[in-house]
Amino acid sequence: MIDSGFDRRDFLKVLGWSGAAVALSGCGNTSIEDGKETVVSYVEANDYMIPGIGVYFNSTCAQCDAGCSINGRVREGRVLKLEGNPDSAINKGKLCALGQAGVQHHYNPDRVREPLLRNGSKGETITWEKAYALIAEKLSGVQGEEIAFLSGGVSGHLKALLGNYLESLGTKNHFVYEAVAPGVTRAANVKAYGVDMPRYRFDKAQVVLSFGADFLGSWVSPVHFSQQYAQFRKGVNGQRGVLIQVESKMTLTGANADRWLAVKPGTEGVLALGIINALGMATGDVAELVKGYDKARVSHETGVSPGQIDKIAALLKLRSPSLVLAGSAAEGYAHGSQNAAAINLLNQVLGNVGKTIEAPVSVPFPQMAPSKGNTAALKLLNDGLAAGKYKVLFNFAANPVFTAPGAFKFKDHLSKAGFKVAFAHYLDETALQADLVLPLDSALEDWGTQVPEYMTEGAQINIQQPLMERLHANTRGMGDILLNLIKQKKADEYKGFEDYYAYLRGAMLQNKGALGGGGTDDDTFWNTTLTQGIVKLAGTAGALSAHVGAAGLTLPAHAAADEQYPLHLIPGVTANLRDGRHTNQPWLQESPDPLTTIVWDSWVEVHPKKATELGIVEGDIVEVTSKTGSVKAQVYLFPGIHPEAISIPVGRGHDAMGRYARGYGVNPFQIMDAVFERETGELAMHETRVNIKKTGQRVLVVKDEGSAGALQMGRKIAARVSTDQVDLSKEV
Amino acid sequence: MSVSNLLENWSQVRHAHPVDDKPHDPYKWAMAIDLDACTGCNACSVACFAENNIPVVGKERFQHGQQMHWMRVERYWDEDGREFPDQGFQFLPMMCQHCEAAPCETVCPVAATNHTADGLNSQIYNRCIGSRYCSANCPFKVRYFNWYDYPTDEMVWPAEMTQQMNPDVSVRSKGVMEKCTFCVQRLSAAKVTAKGEGRIVREGEVQTACQQACPTGAISFGNLVNPESRVHKQWEAQQVDLVKDKQEKDESDEKAVLRGYRILEELRAYPSVMYLERVRESAV
Ligand code: SF4
Ligand code: SF4
Ligand code: SF4
Repeated sequence: MIDSGFDRRDFLKVLGWSGAAVALSGCGNTSIEDGKETVVSYVEANDYMIPGIGVYFNSTCAQCDAGCSINGRVREGRVLKLEGNPDSAINKGKLCALGQAGVQHHYNPDRVREPLLRNGSKGETITWEKAYALIAEKLSGVQGEEIAFLSGGVSGHLKALLGNYLESLGTKNHFVYEAVAPGVTRAANVKAYGVDMPRYRFDKAQVVLSFGADFLGSWVSPVHFSQQYAQFRKGVNGQRGVLIQVESKMTLTGANADRWLAVKPGTEGVLALGIINALGMATGDVAELVKGYDKARVSHETGVSPGQIDKIAALLKLRSPSLVLAGSAAEGYAHGSQNAAAINLLNQVLGNVGKTIEAPVSVPFPQMAPSKGNTAALKLLNDGLAAGKYKVLFNFAANPVFTAPGAFKFKDHLSKAGFKVAFAHYLDETALQADLVLPLDSALEDWGTQVPEYMTEGAQINIQQPLMERLHANTRGMGDILLNLIKQKKADEYKGFEDYYAYLRGAMLQNKGALGGGGTDDDTFWNTTLTQGIVKLAGTAGALSAHVGAAGLTLPAHAAADEQYPLHLIPGVTANLRDGRHTNQPWLQESPDPLTTIVWDSWVEVHPKKATELGIVEGDIVEVTSKTGSVKAQVYLFPGIHPEAISIPVGRGHDAMGRYARGYGVNPFQIMDAVFERETGELAMHETRVNIKKTGQRVLVVKDEGSAGALQMGRKIAARVSTDQVDLSKEV
Repeated sequence: MSVSNLLENWSQVRHAHPVDDKPHDPYKWAMAIDLDACTGCNACSVACFAENNIPVVGKERFQHGQQMHWMRVERYWDEDGREFPDQGFQFLPMMCQHCEAAPCETVCPVAATNHTADGLNSQIYNRCIGSRYCSANCPFKVRYFNWYDYPTDEMVWPAEMTQQMNPDVSVRSKGVMEKCTFCVQRLSAAKVTAKGEGRIVREGEVQTACQQACPTGAISFGNLVNPESRVHKQWEAQQVDLVKDKQEKDESDEKAVLRGYRILEELRAYPSVMYLERVRESAV
């Protein structure tokens, strides 16, 4: 079984790719596990390939954009397991569940293996030559503005190459779309701090007050934040950090809070202003602004008791510095920018800026910095598609047919594009609509560089390198495809690069000095870089703006409930499934949702009080209806949700993609209304209102919790102690 | 050792918690899990799947209680009828506790599960006859039975996916019981290396897969009889003694409590896993 379908000699041949097996100096053959196995550079590995002994390659996790460095164990030419690379300042040797499942992306049985051309409702296998020729043919005579390129977040050299390609096509229509991204928070941060993502120092904070930022689960850089969180909890001299989480639907982070506060959906900003008022520290126009937010009003609007507001204010005064965060729960409303602004204002009033909120460092190559985008970009594309503007559409690393809100009618509009090319790993919902599907290498087979949005100590460029030979002969790396395409336009300029590897190596060597390799010869620099898997740079630290002010901040008056659709639909973003691009990895399907313990299915979270009111019990199939559409799913009675809201997790409900994704659960994106955040034009993900009706069907919920549910039946199983009873200062 | 031989020498094979003439030497593997650091993220559980060739059973079999997660993260909330769980949830990573006097061992008719000299509760797959008595007798419900021949099941391990399997870990077939091994393949490799160099395994030299993945470092693992090990220091600071079924500190009436405890200690199974209680701020 060991070598099934895999020729080891071929792999060794590939290992000699760069043609140079140079002795390494200072590459740090780190000892792992049993002290025998070694970390080596990919180009040098043939000397180390000993049957039965694992070799470790450093590369970068591609399961999300956080940019954790991985250390992949390879034996007999197969990659077996991913560990975190201890040398990365981002993840310091750790990896999340999603990252662990990266090997199941690579070995997935449902990967696309050949270029496919639409023939009626079927895909016909064609050669790459034919595919490239077809693209050239379809592009000829087409104006730049009639071409659109949709992608997820891209960074590094791939971004630069993609930019060059689009330029060669004469198009500016690059739509960067991430279905789940802190688009509004970024914009609010620019206003408050002058940067879109400052560096958050959980480790320096004594109190963290988070308005729906799921930093332990799915927000920005969860593995890094989890490590900082551990430090924050340990605290200094036994003074343990305190976490308060404010949100209408409990997230993983909320489940770890000392105090979890269920606010009425959309009133996060009101609570922030109420806390500023209770602090009594504000001056000038800020004091003027918060004057009306007395405890009685704030408590009435948010549902948080006056006593609780006092306690939070007292704690924030007593323990400084603190850190206040605005997350997806706060930004998901039409007034999301205002919510986030109010929350950031609280940070400023508390004097946290410069203490727990620091200026980020950025990579000194702006052309490699990640391109970011959220649903506003998709809306623009959608409008263009609806107007029949595009003759050729490319799609890479996005699945908008699955993730676009139902109200966009994206699939219908997509059909108006003339020729649709999908660069795809799976035949997902969007690839199924394409005319031409080009199969991609997995992240464990491909070359690349990645620049994370969120940097920690210093800046870094992450290296992605193959951990093994490609599994399927006819998949290609995105870089190689782009290089071939760009050669159709600018053959002369790019003819020196045989493949993307050569391009990458050339580009890195060209900047050797700036990348810290000054004084070393090319081969040494390159081998060291690949061995380490990370290029660490001093980076340039920007400055935060110190502007404190309340100008333009107004929160909407409390809206009356909609009688026809009385409940808020809160899409649950989970750490493992995110926007649903990895749902076909079975470990993630069978890994229980941490909060409900449900596996392999979707559910509707309903507060027990609401359920009693509606006569609903666990397992009832309910129909959830919005203005846009309806879905049917099983109910789970969940106390961590506001009674005026329900929640359905996103990521499941695929009708394509593969055997582990298709047919499991429902897709709440389908019933999302097109309500936009007023200032940024991003989708207000929490604004959809719904009603729920019993269908009369009932199922057994498939979940990990036993018959006692969430209760310990009075036994000391998972024990808890309060801070006044324990002395943490002497702990090891 | 044949089964009859084994049964005749039962008292030799079945070590209860170490007695004076059989101290743990030079190894006693043990764990400490800080519930205040654990966030319930499941990284440990998925890492264990990746390391130990654990089958994904699918929705229907999961419904039948046939899931195989050696490491599961249990979740509890307050039972006092409050409207919201306003102090969050309680998470508990739960795997084989490698009990020193393991209740599963005594009931196995063929001694397929027994205690190793370095303090592991081991499972010998090809001796196991599938009686499942061990599972019935485990107070922690951490033993998992192969109801199907998963390695030949196309949905569980399609050909491509078999290439990911860890060659250091046996693949289990139908009719066999399995559970957390404390990543014994990693321990063995480390011990062999150390032995070759005429020393014992150093602190930090070996990590279990769950420990290695855990983003908050909630899990520590090591050699309890090595005073340099973090696990030893933690157990000592928390005054949890492996061989006691009632800790002295629990009798004392000092105000500030220590957080270390073992689950269901009163059952006298002497677990090798100590948990540290989750902490909650009293000021908010
Ligand atoms: S957070 Fe998880 S998925 Fe994202 S890069 Fe890090 S390990 Fe990979
Ligand atoms: S010690 Fe190893 S076998 Fe046991 S739960 Fe952790 S990873 Fe799994
Ligand atoms: S990996 Fe760590 S933090 Fe996550 S559930 Fe496991 S023990 Fe808890």
